Formats: sequence, structure tokens, C-alpha cells
Amino acid sequence: MLGCFLSAASAWLRLRLLVSVDVVLRLLGFLMAATLAARGGDGAGTLVSVCATVGMVADLAREVGGPQVAVHALMGPGVDPHLYRATASDLVRLQRADLILYSGLHLEGRMQETFERLRRSGRRVAAVTDGLARDRLINAGGEGQKDPHVWFDVRLWADCADAVAEALAGVRPASAEAFRSRASELKRRWDGLDRWVRGRVEEIPPTRRILVTSHDAFGYFGRAYGMQVVALQGISTVTEAGLADMAQLTDFIRSKGVPAVFLESSVSPAGLQRIAKDAGVRRGGELFSDALGTPGQKHGPFDLGTYEGMIRRNVDRIVEGLK
Amino acid sequence: MTLVPDFSVQRVFVDPWTTGIDSHGMMALVTFLVGCTCGLVGNFLILRRMALMGDAISHSVLPGIAVAFLLTGSRGIGAMVLGAFVAAFATHLLVEGITRYSRVRPDAAIGIAFSTLFALGVVLVAVFADRVDLDQDCVLNGELPMIPLEPPVHLGSLSLGPPPLVRLAGLLVASVLLLALFYKELLLTSFDPGLAAALGLPVSAVHHGLMLWLALAVVASFEAVGAILVIALLILPGATAAILTERMVPRLVLGVVHAALSAIGGMHLSVALDCSPAGASVVAGGAWFTLAWLFSPTAGWVPRWWRSRGAA
Repeated sequence: MLGCFLSAASAWLRLRLLVSVDVVLRLLGFLMAATLAARGGDGAGTLVSVCATVGMVADLAREVGGPQVAVHALMGPGVDPHLYRATASDLVRLQRADLILYSGLHLEGRMQETFERLRRSGRRVAAVTDGLARDRLINAGGEGQKDPHVWFDVRLWADCADAVAEALAGVRPASAEAFRSRASELKRRWDGLDRWVRGRVEEIPPTRRILVTSHDAFGYFGRAYGMQVVALQGISTVTEAGLADMAQLTDFIRSKGVPAVFLESSVSPAGLQRIAKDAGVRRGGELFSDALGTPGQKHGPFDLGTYEGMIRRNVDRIVEGLK
Repeated sequence: MTLVPDFSVQRVFVDPWTTGIDSHGMMALVTFLVGCTCGLVGNFLILRRMALMGDAISHSVLPGIAVAFLLTGSRGIGAMVLGAFVAAFATHLLVEGITRYSRVRPDAAIGIAFSTLFALGVVLVAVFADRVDLDQDCVLNGELPMIPLEPPVHLGSLSLGPPPLVRLAGLLVASVLLLALFYKELLLTSFDPGLAAALGLPVSAVHHGLMLWLALAVVASFEAVGAILVIALLILPGATAAILTERMVPRLVLGVVHAALSAIGGMHLSVALDCSPAGASVVAGGAWFTLAWLFSPTAGWVPRWWRSRGAA
């Protein structure tokens, strides 16, 4: 009786499932055809639409693209790119954009793999750090991993402007000259910014040029401007610091007489706050690490939503804290 | 910036089916495929009171990817998925071992196995891969909005769609075929293992097979769409179906219907609120479950209240 019921049920199920397999396959075929329709019209008068991942990359694209481009940044102020989750409208923007710009060196995690496959399939996608010589980058652990926080060396980041100009020129060859000249203009301007940073850091007494932060984002800053950089967490913000790390850092701060430690806008402050208390030092102002500030907010004459404003406020806070 | 974006019927209910079919429609299709496969497995997990096994597996893959990274030195997705799959099946064997050779009950054994393995993974990452951005979020968890961007796979001149979609569709077809072949064994060993053993069915082999299927489904879905969707869609379709009917075949079919409704509901919700489509689909799935709970003709609260009022 039971066996009879079961075999009838299983025969019915088989039929049922074959039908549903067929439906699924048809639906698949239909959708595939829909995806194939490629997009991206190239009317010479219209703006080049650029979709950038982090704010620093969007700022580069705005500077180099000037009035010929419309730039959208996926990750807003205070967003940690290591932990970013895309939304439905991000997808639509990425699909519709004429050019996708990302930072690279695994800053964007698995998004980068998707971007690389997209580039191989012929979409216009570029990593702004791709043009940099590998020996100018800082090693981060084994297997050719590099530290992705390139933007804290102003000269190195300025050199990324060339890659942006070439990527834009690929989309709009008619404006190639304008992009290239704006890129070299930008490099001249940021040379001035670089000198300003250097001058400010030299105001700190040499024994106090030690920057203690939450996670390891300031390696390039330290190398370029002669500061020792110590971080509580590694490159990734996901692994928590152990007790031994915290004790070691506290001892280090005491023995060196470091006057202040610095929290970051996109990383949890708890661990470093504890250390500041234990070591009896001040907390300096919050620094921007992996994101720009809110556009429209000012630091002196500079907009915190721009790269220059972000760098200037970080440096002013570091100098005020350590001087 | 307003908290809730402007609502327009055109944007929320019409555009996803017309101009947005290659973005929103594609995401909904992927969600549906995950919901189907996971829902089919989930129905049997619920019958066996092992619903948390999926949750356990999705946590315990961390040591698998850490060991895969240490052995191969690369973060290539192939090695990671293989490591995750091995770790997933190891979780099952550990749960079985603890249950069989100690007095610990299966639910506690699941808790022991996955938390220990997850912690082992945390330790491995901290000791050996400290300077590398290695955790399952960045290595294994796919993101639904990234899938429609992937360049499609071609079979001759026919374009089949993004690779994760093709993999999930293949897994679904394989699942359906396996289910059709072994339906009798699965059903009987789930409902009455004693009777199944007496009838000479290979009870423990079927159990291992089911867990192998679960591990495959979880890791493949995980790799494509991330953890939230997988854990929720393992349970919600089966649980909703279980509230609506007692019979197995209708349950399986209702699970598929639930997966489809969750995918569609999630698509509209994610467009309306501009949020993570995976999260929105789970919210929609939870809403369908609540509706079934309230209005199920046999066990629903509202029909029951109506009947008791009539009787009084």
C-alpha cells in the first residue's frame, strides 16, 4: 500500500519536475538574450558617465575629466570599502556607466575579480593604481600582496591621474588632449600639496614623528613623509586585535613618549580608546582613512568631500596632536 | 537625504520587468534558483529536525578556506570553494561522530561542531594569514548585485548568462534529478528511520548523501550570493510549506512557489528602498511565512479564530 503510494507520488513528481526544469531553462534563455543587448552610446556632445568605487577615485575622475564627465561614487563618506555591500541601484549604475574606475590592489575585495572579468570581456573598466610601478608599492604579507592605501602618498596618488586620463581618452578620444593636460596640471598642483604636507610634518619634533592608528592604512604616509606608523589592527579591519598586541602597543607608546593616538572615521574606535586610556595619552582628532568626508563640509577653504581637503585636514590634525 | 526614497508605481513595479530585466530581473532569477535548491534540501532538513545544519555549514567553512589558502597560497576561487566544501562535509562527519559516540544530542552536537570549527578558522587566520585580507566575507561571499555584471558564458553561439547563474541552474537541475531518483528513500528515512531500516533501506548512506547535497548547495549558493540568502532560504520555503500542508509533494512544490514569491517580492522591495537585494528577499520571504502562519487553512491563526467563534 505504502509502496504503491510512494511510486505513484514519485512518478507524479518526476513529471512535475521535468515540466519545471523546462520552464526554468526557457526563462534562462529569455533572460540571456536580454543581457546580451550591450549598452553605452557614444554621443560626442554628451557627458561621459563614470562610476567610481571609493571617494578618492571619484575625486581623481572629477579632476581629470573636468566638465566632460559626470562622476558617481558608490561608497559615500564614512563607508569602509573592506565591508561594503552593493545595492540594487549600484548595479544599475555600474551597468549603465561608460567607464568604471576602481582603486585596485584588493581594496575592493571580491568586487575586483568581477571588474577584472568585465575588462577581459571588453567593457571599459580600469584600476587607477594599475599604472604604478610595482616596486613603488609597499608589500603586505606574502604572495605579491600590496598595501592598497596608496592615496596617502600624495605624489604616488597624483601619478594615478595618468591612468585615469588614458581610461577617459579611451571612451572619448576627441577629448583625449584635454584629459591629458588636466592630468599633468593636477600633478603640478598636487606637487604643491605634497610639499605642504612635508613642511607641516617637519614642524613635529623628530622624536615625536610616530603615528598610532586603529588599522594599517597609513603605511604610504609614513614612508613618504618620514613618520613611523604603528597600527593596532592589520590591513583588514575584520580580525580583532589580541590582548598581547594591545599590551605591546601600550608599552611602546609609553616608552617612546608618544603624545597622542588617532582614531579613524570608518573603523570602530573601542580598541584604541582603551589603549589611549591605559597609556595615559590624548586622543588626537579623528582621521579619514578609507573614505572622504561629507561634501560641503569645510576645512578652512577646502571641501572635505575632495581628496585635497581630506589630506589637509588629516595632516593638520596629526601635526596639532603631536607637536 | 530622506530615509525612504520617493515611491512611484512605475519605478517600483513596472521598470524592473521592462528596462530593468537585465539587472533586477537577473538578480531575482538568481535568488529564485538559490531558493529552489535550498528550499528542496531544506524541506528534508526540517523533517529531520536538522534545520540549523545549514547555518552550521555556512559558519564552518572558514577553516576550510584558511587551509586552502595555506596550501595553495592563492585566493583563487576554485581552491577556496573546494576547501569550503571539504570543511562543510567535515562538519557533518563531526556532528555524526559526536552524536553516535557520545551522549550528546544532535542539536548540541551541531552547536559544538560548527563553533569549534569556526573558532579553529579564526585562530588559523590570526596565526598564519595575519597580514592578508582573508576572511569569508571577502574571499567567498559573493554579492548578488555583482552577478549580472559578470560576462556571460557561451555555449557555441548561445549565451547562457553569468557563470554563477549557470552553476546554480546546473545545481538545481542535478538536485531535481537526484530528488526524483531517490525520493522514496529520502522520504521514508526522514519520516520513519526505524521502518526504513527494517525495510532494508540504507538509512545512513541516504543521510550522508543528503548532507553531501546540502554541503554542495550551501557552498555553491554562498559563493554566488553570500551568507544571508543561503541560511534564510534553506529554512523559509520549507517552513512556510510545512505550515500549509502535511503532504510531502505539495510541500516541495510550495517551497518552490515560496522561493519565486520571495525573489519577486525582494526585487520590488529592494527597488523601492534601494537596499541590499539579498536582505530584501529574505524580508519578503519572512513576510510570506507570516502570511501563511496567519491564514493557513488548516493551522492558521485567523481561520482557527474564525472557527472557534462560529462554535461558541
